[in-house]
Amino acid sequence: MKTFIQAISQISLQEPLSDQWFSNPHVPQNIFNESIEPDYKRFLSPMEARRMGKLMKRAITTSLDVLHRSHFENVDAIISGTGLGCIDNTEKFLHAIIDNNEDCLPPTAFMQSTHNTISSQIALYLKCHGYNSTYSHRGTSFESSLLDAFVQMKVGDIHSALVGGHDEMTPDYFNMLGKLGYWKKDPFTIDSLKKADTIGSISGSCSLALLLTDSPNQDALCQLNDIELMYAPSITEIRSRMENMLIKNGIALGEIDAVVMGLNGDIENDAVYHQISQNCFPNIPVVWYKHVFGESYSASSFGAYTASMCLKNNLIPPHLLYNSVARSTNISHVLVYNHFQNKDHSLMLLSKI
Amino acid sequence: MEQLIEELKKQIIEVLNLEGMKPEDIDENAPLFGEGLGLDSIDALELIVMMEKNYGIKLANASEGREIFKSVRIMAEYIQAHRTK
Repeated sequence: MKTFIQAISQISLQEPLSDQWFSNPHVPQNIFNESIEPDYKRFLSPMEARRMGKLMKRAITTSLDVLHRSHFENVDAIISGTGLGCIDNTEKFLHAIIDNNEDCLPPTAFMQSTHNTISSQIALYLKCHGYNSTYSHRGTSFESSLLDAFVQMKVGDIHSALVGGHDEMTPDYFNMLGKLGYWKKDPFTIDSLKKADTIGSISGSCSLALLLTDSPNQDALCQLNDIELMYAPSITEIRSRMENMLIKNGIALGEIDAVVMGLNGDIENDAVYHQISQNCFPNIPVVWYKHVFGESYSASSFGAYTASMCLKNNLIPPHLLYNSVARSTNISHVLVYNHFQNKDHSLMLLSKI
Repeated sequence: MEQLIEELKKQIIEVLNLEGMKPEDIDENAPLFGEGLGLDSIDALELIVMMEKNYGIKLANASEGREIFKSVRIMAEYIQAHRTK
């Protein structure tokens, strides 16, 4: 059974619910970046939206938008990935505990502070009684969700799935991560991010909904051939897993037209990608995307989005090209490789339909 | 009493995040639940927390709320009679 990415919808630092970023991106200017919010009233009535935090509104809106784009009324499964869940509501609840001396705690913030709120609220809204799950595996939460949907589709348990990657960055959490060296200390440019000679990246808040199906219509973006997750592999193991994945799918290394990587301007993060690139893909165009969407626990979902857009449009726009390898005029196969702190690694193989 | 009703309307809008609604949109004699504002059981919990926090009223029995939250006016009368702060 083949699986296809029918459509993708996003809310991030870029124009919301739009693919405009692919040709004309907003260039992030700040280290702490907020998402650009769409007009939620187009999707949710004020009474429906009043209990939802920002992340919940984004998750439901991207889900509704991707169903609309796909001409699907409902799906067999809703599977979301989120590193932090509705962290804004978690913080509200924790602040209330302190401010009110562990008394008089507001129920709404508590109810909507759990990670699995996202998938369950989408299901309630869509009245979807199918499989429902949430993965919270830090930087590979989205890939874990996609792998679940992919495997279930392969064995024929489901025929369509709404797969999401949803994370928000609050000022408090941003400050905490900053103390761990997650963010740049000084002003940056796209060129300085590419140079990656200091630690830290730029933050993003991102929400992405993807519709996976075994019965695509003519507007489908691409085929998802394979997906794998690895924990703390060596470079040799990564290379071996990549080669095996390509062999399994009947694709030669030389047929890969681009590799999408989670380069983010952090010297330690990017060194891993440079090693992989030099060892495995010395002559293949490398595409990056975190300079456009920022870094977050769900940022890797935008790697899949970027690859899908390159395949659908048969194009790698110059602003996404990381190295100077000449681009193929025909983009047929794209590999997406991401790692989180050099511990959790993921591979996704996508092809043109 | 009228001042307390106005204060309550503002607090209800804020606590329940009734976006786009103004105090004058709330009829103090209309039911808060079911018809009227159309609030539900989670809103009732939020109102119980609000009454405890702002007026020091602790409802021993949640079912008391059914009577107290019949309308903003009845709620204000109850608060005036039982408030400790």
